[in-house]
Amino acid sequence: MDEQTIKRGKRPKNPLNRRIWKDLRRDWKRYLMIFAMLVVTIGFVSGMYVSNNSMLHSLDDGVTKFHREDGHFRLSGKADADTLKGIASGEMADVPAVFRERAYEEADTEVEDAVRDTVTGEVEQQVKDAIRTQVEAAVDAQLAQAAAMGVPVTDADRESAVEEAYQTALDENYDKARSEALEQAFDSDDYQGALSDAIKEAHAEIDKEIDEKYQELSDRFNLDEKFDPVPVTIYELFYKDRDETIPGKSGYKGGIRVYAPREEIDLYDILDGRAPETETEIIIDRMHADNASIQIGDTLTVGKVDYTVVGLASFVDYTTLYEKNTDTMFDALTFDVAMVTAEGFDRIHANTRANYAFTYDDPPADAYEEKEMSEHFLKAFITQTAISEKELEIEDYVPAYLNNAITFAPNDLGSDKAMGGVLLYVLIGVMAFIFAVTISTTLEQEASVIGTLRASGYTRGELLRYYMGTPLLVVLLAAVVGNILGYTVFKNVVVGMYYNSYSLPGYVTLWTPEAFIRTTIVPIVLMLVINFFVISSKLRLTPLQFLRHDLKKTRRKKAVRLPRFKFFGRFRLRVFLQNLPNYLMLFVGITFVMLLLSMAVGMPETLQFYQNRLPEMMFAEDQVILSDTEDEDGEPITTDTEGAERYAVTSLERQSDVYNEEISVYGVQPDSAYVTLDAAFFDTDDSEVYISQAYAEKFDVKAGDTIVLSEKYEHRDYTWKVYGIFDYSAGIAVFMDNAQFNRIFDKDEDYFSGYLSDVPITDIDEQYIAAEITSEDMTKLARQLDHSMGAYMLYFQYACMIVAAILLYLLTKIIIEKNERAISMVKILGYETGEIASLYLIPTALVVFFSEFLAMYLGYTLMSVFWKAMMMSLGGWFAFVMSPEGFVREFVLVFAAYLVISILDFLRIRRIPKVLALKNME
Amino acid sequence: MTDTEKFLEVRGLQKSFGSGDTRQDVLRGLDFTVAKGEFCVLLGPSGSGKSTLLNILGGIDSVDGGEIIIDGDKLADMDEKSLTRYRRKHLGYVFQMYNLIPNLNVKENIETGAYLSDDPLDIDELLKILGLFEHRYKLPNQLSGGQQQRVSIGRAIVKNPDILLCDEPTGALDYNTSKEILQLIEEVNQKYGNTIIMVTHNEAIKLMADHVIKLRDGRIRHDDRNTSKITAKELEW
Repeated sequence: MDEQTIKRGKRPKNPLNRRIWKDLRRDWKRYLMIFAMLVVTIGFVSGMYVSNNSMLHSLDDGVTKFHREDGHFRLSGKADADTLKGIASGEMADVPAVFRERAYEEADTEVEDAVRDTVTGEVEQQVKDAIRTQVEAAVDAQLAQAAAMGVPVTDADRESAVEEAYQTALDENYDKARSEALEQAFDSDDYQGALSDAIKEAHAEIDKEIDEKYQELSDRFNLDEKFDPVPVTIYELFYKDRDETIPGKSGYKGGIRVYAPREEIDLYDILDGRAPETETEIIIDRMHADNASIQIGDTLTVGKVDYTVVGLASFVDYTTLYEKNTDTMFDALTFDVAMVTAEGFDRIHANTRANYAFTYDDPPADAYEEKEMSEHFLKAFITQTAISEKELEIEDYVPAYLNNAITFAPNDLGSDKAMGGVLLYVLIGVMAFIFAVTISTTLEQEASVIGTLRASGYTRGELLRYYMGTPLLVVLLAAVVGNILGYTVFKNVVVGMYYNSYSLPGYVTLWTPEAFIRTTIVPIVLMLVINFFVISSKLRLTPLQFLRHDLKKTRRKKAVRLPRFKFFGRFRLRVFLQNLPNYLMLFVGITFVMLLLSMAVGMPETLQFYQNRLPEMMFAEDQVILSDTEDEDGEPITTDTEGAERYAVTSLERQSDVYNEEISVYGVQPDSAYVTLDAAFFDTDDSEVYISQAYAEKFDVKAGDTIVLSEKYEHRDYTWKVYGIFDYSAGIAVFMDNAQFNRIFDKDEDYFSGYLSDVPITDIDEQYIAAEITSEDMTKLARQLDHSMGAYMLYFQYACMIVAAILLYLLTKIIIEKNERAISMVKILGYETGEIASLYLIPTALVVFFSEFLAMYLGYTLMSVFWKAMMMSLGGWFAFVMSPEGFVREFVLVFAAYLVISILDFLRIRRIPKVLALKNME
Repeated sequence: MTDTEKFLEVRGLQKSFGSGDTRQDVLRGLDFTVAKGEFCVLLGPSGSGKSTLLNILGGIDSVDGGEIIIDGDKLADMDEKSLTRYRRKHLGYVFQMYNLIPNLNVKENIETGAYLSDDPLDIDELLKILGLFEHRYKLPNQLSGGQQQRVSIGRAIVKNPDILLCDEPTGALDYNTSKEILQLIEEVNQKYGNTIIMVTHNEAIKLMADHVIKLRDGRIRHDDRNTSKITAKELEW
């Protein structure tokens, strides 16, 4: 051997690395689909994280930038300086002491007056009696003298003489005698003793009453607790609520809350235009303006006064347009928030609401401390208001952390992020499995090559790295492109979605490490782990097993015996059995798509269903709640509306860690035409109640169960046994006898809150109506959800169809590739393409067909669970609804996707060359 | 016998498949040696155990008894990692089927072998020797069976292995192509001096070998050194 003649070369770079690119190029359609799907998902989720993060950051910044309140309260009237000073101190007022002092002062005067009056009366009588006695004695002496002189004197003469002398004596001596006697009496020890006793008695009575009442108040608000003062700074934030109409838009009518100028607290971000400068100018909420198509320059009528819209803003305390904090859902469609100049504010004819915002002087360190401070401050606030000279009443108290108008948007942004993340991971998981299945098939096809490479000295690690290269490269590229799109295109899409629901301030796009980690690192790791396990478990086989194509760990000893079907039937069954793992994957993929479709089809259906059905679901079309059940003359307020009947209503809370649900408690007439309860129910004692169907569904309560409801601002619980379920799905409610209601809630025997009627009640003066609930109010939640999400659901349905098509394409491609040689062989045997397609496509079609049914059921069940979880954190309830048409739609969307793919599969089968079977035969 | 003559030493090699009643003894105690640079042909009918023997020599199948010593190293002492390293460093494999990577071109397929060696042969020169230089950018499916087998030989030889194991390399080829391949193997043997062990059932090939081992029923029937070998070109069958 002549070493000199042997020319040595350089060790080349690993050619398998170059093969990764070639693999990508060879199978570009498959990888492009996976890539596209990953890019869209990663891009969307990245966009969601970026926009959420940027938005949340801007909302967080807004707290200081726009000087957001830590809470607000509303009083029945404007508070005096002393009361505000007291509240601002954050210290609890000594309510009993103040009340006692005031009551004593009042009582002392009253008692003294009463005792003095009594004593005066007695003294006067004594003086008069004394004068009369003296006069009678004098007259009798004179008459005795006259009788002695023989002058006849009758009784009548005596009477008249006494009366005359008495009058004269009174005129001459009474005043002097009275004042002397009174002076003497008032100076006497008896008088002082009596007065002191009376005052003592009165004080004792006052003490008893005040102690009792305070104890009640103290129990209710837990006022015994000792805490450090919570000093706050209080700001006037007065507003007026009025109707909002738009000249030229006759169909539109909403409500508007107009604030006086905001200069110190709860400022705003002007998104367009400017702040009002004259009394006819107004700046309104941007979100509502979008929804109601109001533009800068438009005229807006507040009550009966016109304003020109000069700016659109996001108010820091109204990022979500909740009219009342107790509302089930925000309402950006018909509720508006606005601000005018001080002169502009005076132009509005409506009561000024004495609303005050406050900020803590020592800001809380965390959420826990904020909650504690707000509870302590509430106690100070209640007691300070109680001792107010003006007898103010508290109408509202909302700390910022409980204020839906402030917290709903950031919470929703947070939960969307979580949901988007889950969706991404599920999809990456599905993709990773598709990769793993694809690679498994490739490993089977390339068994000889792998065997040769292993026999030549390639290590398992080298092959593992090579086979993992493609999926990792695809997911890496998809992550890069997805993130670029996430920061640009998709961010804007997501921001648009949020701006369509919430009144968010402007934002600055932020680099979001979380987006990078969740949409790049996590998918890569997920892809890495799943592929690592699948590929490395395959590569554990010996080189010889690869060379012999002996790849199954457990080789079936005998073929499964099949029933005596016709040949084609048995053939198809064999195809099915052989591809069982792939069909399982197909089933998982279809289930995933069906879950998404259940949301995309079911959500708008559910919302539409409730919007359409709610009016008929209501037990009375008009529910009037009166502010007072008696008019100015003390007469009960009645209505002549036919069929109207009295009812009572109040609100309680069902408290839980997740969400405190507001429950309407109704008291109805035993013979009610609107709420017909079992006659026997009215014979039960006060511990049993009916609940609405919605209550039963939301909280899984059955007849016979026990429910506990609580007063909102009190520590008072009501425990009731459920007698039955009343078929009412429009609200979470409890029903009972009106009389029972009055007993439970300590009302007068004939107490009621308002009237129920199926025809509008028009004969009650508006000033006595506190609220009127119509079907319009009940559909608020459904309408707003529909507006916020419904519009996207149709796009989402088509997106699901595309996802289904891609998944079906990838999985059926694997099945056909696996059978390529067999297909080629049957072609050689003389089968026609149509016959072959029927052999290989019909099993897949049948699997898709039956999988769809099972997947629809699973998707619907899973979606119902998710839906319920979502509703648990929202007020109100409607069950997830899917109509038969909805199921048909789901089925058709996926099957249509399959039909398109089956055409591609047919073409793919047609393209398989006959020579393939011969070429690869070993 | 010198060390060079005992480059590969097989002693009492036994191998069986299955167990109990289905146990089948494939190799029943083989003893032979192969010298360095020798062209050794393993002949025998189907089922005689020649492929199993080749796989065992290649470290991809295990033994039940006996030992194999290659250049002083005992195969039995090697764990899986060492066996892979052994194959990587010392062995080249050629199979009846070419087992080329379909989407790598000729040159790249050969590079998959070159990558395994720290000191590979010059690929371009090898391509010329293989007669594939003009075809170096073609994909395997653009080549004839003979050309594909040349690529497979190139892939095995490029790392200049001590031993080239060939399992029926001409089994799927026609007469002329088979002769071309045998000529190539002969040329490689002469030029690079690799020890070649070739499994075949073609009796004619023994004429070109230095060393012929005939197997039947798992036993060596003949173990002869060929003193009057002819060239591959002269072979006829």
